[in-house]
Amino acid sequence: MQAEVAQLAQISTGDAAAFGRWASSVESSLRGSLRPFAARCDTEAVLQEALLRVWQVAPRFVHDGKPNALLRFAVITARNVAFTEMRKVSSTPTEIDQLHRQLEAQGDVQPRLPDPHLRVAIAKCREKLPPQPGMALGARIDRPDDDHVLAASVRMSLNTFLQNVTRARKFLAECLKKAGIDLDLELAP
Amino acid sequence: MTPEELLLLEQVVSARRERTVDGVVKSHPAWHDLDAAGRTAAFDETVRQRAVERSLDPAGESSTIKAVLARLR
Repeated sequence: MQAEVAQLAQISTGDAAAFGRWASSVESSLRGSLRPFAARCDTEAVLQEALLRVWQVAPRFVHDGKPNALLRFAVITARNVAFTEMRKVSSTPTEIDQLHRQLEAQGDVQPRLPDPHLRVAIAKCREKLPPQPGMALGARIDRPDDDHVLAASVRMSLNTFLQNVTRARKFLAECLKKAGIDLDLELAP
Repeated sequence: MTPEELLLLEQVVSARRERTVDGVVKSHPAWHDLDAAGRTAAFDETVRQRAVERSLDPAGESSTIKAVLARLR
């Protein structure tokens, strides 16, 4: 709890690196909280927008003394952004009510701790990737740039680049399975 | 899923998002071209992809976090 308050103090003063560490620690939980919206709005855009809003509000944010205060605020912010996006694509009041009930049933969102064993296993599998999928995945990981730019950087057409990213992910999942790791089970809420 | 849908899905899995003129993060155009099943599949693939990215990045940052931090700087 003390560490959380100290981290919030850093973020409040405009420490982007501290914000990045906090955001990395809650990303998985925050994204998971948006699962009910997956078919109704682009949750990647919602998540990024919510994090940017949290950053803007952080200097005025007051910790309520309970654990995961900023994460709880981020979850509410993300859901509000998601509902706004849903209304733009003409969702019915019934759909919105159903989602509210689903979210109530979800309960509190808790941060997930990083798994060092999974990290090592993924790194080992990446080393075994065939060259083309490895290059494509590497480009995606290095920077979140436009896919046309990333494809050109590894001298692939856009479609070939996208197909190679898909192949890389499939290869990693199969490699992890051979090592006895089911990525979906590891990431289950 | 058809090859065309797979290409759409892969674009949606990217963390690259444009912004509106007033600075709000926009949905990916490819997301609108997917049906409900495709959108849910894109969500699941994104969860996997970001876990892989966090694991492979020295600072533990996924492309989502890199995209957000790039907006702050």
